[in-house]
Amino acid sequence: MTKELALTRILPRWNPTSLLKIACLTPVVLYDGIFFLLPLIFLIWIGFWTTENYRAVPGFSLENYLDIFSQLFNKSRYAYAIAQSIWVASTTTVLALILCYPFAMSLTFVVPERYQRTALLFAIAPFWTSYILRLYAWQTIINPNGLLNSLLLQLGWIQSPIPILYTQWGTRIGLLHYLAPIMILILYVMLSSSDRSLLVAARNLGATYWQTFWRVLLPLSKPGLIYSATFGLIISLGDVLSGVILGGGTGQSILGKVPLFSTVILNEYAASTNLPRTSALATILILLMVAILVISSRFAESKE
Amino acid sequence: MQLTELPTHTAAIAPDPSHDLELCQVTKKFGSQTVLNNINLSIAAGEFVAIMGPSGCGKTTLLRVIAGLESMSAGKIYLDSQNIARLPVHRRNTPMVWQNYALFPHLTVQQNIAFGLTLSSHQKAIVREKVYQIAAMLHLENFLDRRISQLSGGQKQRVAIARALVTEPKILLLDEPMSALDPHLRIRMQGELKRLQQALGITFIYVTHNQNEAFSMADRIVVMNRGNIEQVGSPSEIYNRPASHFVAEFVGYNNLLDGKVVQINSQTMTIQCSQTVAVVQKPDRAYSIGEQVTVVIPADRMFVSSDSASENSIKAVLRGQEFMGSQILYVLETEEGCEIKMIRQETLNTSQSIPVNSELHLAWSSEDAIVLGEPITHH
Repeated sequence: MTKELALTRILPRWNPTSLLKIACLTPVVLYDGIFFLLPLIFLIWIGFWTTENYRAVPGFSLENYLDIFSQLFNKSRYAYAIAQSIWVASTTTVLALILCYPFAMSLTFVVPERYQRTALLFAIAPFWTSYILRLYAWQTIINPNGLLNSLLLQLGWIQSPIPILYTQWGTRIGLLHYLAPIMILILYVMLSSSDRSLLVAARNLGATYWQTFWRVLLPLSKPGLIYSATFGLIISLGDVLSGVILGGGTGQSILGKVPLFSTVILNEYAASTNLPRTSALATILILLMVAILVISSRFAESKE
Repeated sequence: MQLTELPTHTAAIAPDPSHDLELCQVTKKFGSQTVLNNINLSIAAGEFVAIMGPSGCGKTTLLRVIAGLESMSAGKIYLDSQNIARLPVHRRNTPMVWQNYALFPHLTVQQNIAFGLTLSSHQKAIVREKVYQIAAMLHLENFLDRRISQLSGGQKQRVAIARALVTEPKILLLDEPMSALDPHLRIRMQGELKRLQQALGITFIYVTHNQNEAFSMADRIVVMNRGNIEQVGSPSEIYNRPASHFVAEFVGYNNLLDGKVVQINSQTMTIQCSQTVAVVQKPDRAYSIGEQVTVVIPADRMFVSSDSASENSIKAVLRGQEFMGSQILYVLETEEGCEIKMIRQETLNTSQSIPVNSELHLAWSSEDAIVLGEPITHH
């Protein structure tokens, strides 16, 4: 009896529903396998190849990694670039949260319900235009003779143009524009599914609007905040375009003038076409993202 | 406990200090729809008042208006002689126990109960002490560190009550708090709620559509219909002396017979109904010959009579029966298609089954019938 039970638990019963499930899942698995998983495995694998006479040679060696780790703090100074990337990504994410959370809140609680979908559509609209095009558009706005600086000069608020283009702020602006629609969407979905009777209950128990926000709404939005922050961090870490087009590839920060890690990977490949070594660098970036994902999902699921 | 219907014609009424809560001409309109129509109600301190009525009668809206969750179109609300109509929600101290409990899932039981206290600056030791006291009253002292998701329905209910009572309010609002509980748990909770209310001496305003809950707990019952108060009175008054057709039809099982007053003697009054003649004891109110009235006879006062008397008796055909524990509800129909209900104390075992479609003579004694004199409006 128990044996039979155990067996049926291990072996899925072959029924029409499971056939349908397999039929539905096969394309997804194939697509992800061929276009995502396979290239990823390839990338990680190539990271262990070596180069001879500027040609990649398949094999298994830790040469690339050892070389990279030996240059963490000198020569190529990869650790600085990684730190710079994390700095830009985390500050951008915090900024994006501060901008997007009130936006998603007003979308949920202020905009009448029948207009919410339209408003959301407008909020996400930038996502549908080309990212590069948007970055070049920002160049015309934030360059020293651009729209923003001329406006501020005209108003007499500044005496000379403030440098935004080719600074870290340029990078952040580009990233913010890229992240905002998706983060707003995530936060909106989370906020609109939150239990409003809890907010009313808090008010009824004597909480002011402000207290209701801090004590109830914000704690309840924690999972949504973490998921959108994770998203922002990972996209910011991997993005290279904003850093190149608006940030000028490098940026002055507390670490000094250090490029972003993604820019380093791009530049190294362009300069050396050393595929194994670049793959090893990319693998390190991917590991960093996986670490963020694991940590954040732990946080989101924890109840404390 | 006095029955206090306020006169509707006076515009400004001074609050009576002996009353904890006083509603004066409270009106609420949603667009063209009037949800609360000129509600006047006084509730004494420490009273347990149940507001009862069918869904959509405005009972929950009335509760929300008192709590300030819904604005009023007109009227005044005095809580402890202070007009709170313009006070924002969070400054009223009129906590509510919600139908779905609305407990904060991100907080523990202890933190949930303490919520109202921690909003203003209280010393931690005092908060802990007060939370423990109220938790002990509701047998929650061993659950204080639990998460809300780890509680049963009955425990959640207790936490919701404790959370509302911790700030020591003068008045507690309860919005159908037991509708999500199992029937046996509900009965236990009713007793406990009543005990708690008496121990604390707080005014409870309890909204329900469940008559049993209202009758078993309340000192006074308010019956509402279509935004109006139909009757205010003690449970026995509401049950035995319904003041309107609506109350007579809504509360318990009553038979309503329309008729005309034909004779008034020193002790009795005779009413000519379409299929019978009802002789009732002379009511307190004066009636005149020819006046249209309704005779109300409770279903449990009806009995089967062997002979067809001309007075206090009606001929009807049995259409169906329903077993209600120790009672059976018989539904009959008169020649004119009027429905007559009869309840008899009997069980499945003792009942001498009456075949469906058999013709019966139902009778009642004159002291069991009540006369309602208002214009006939069937709902």
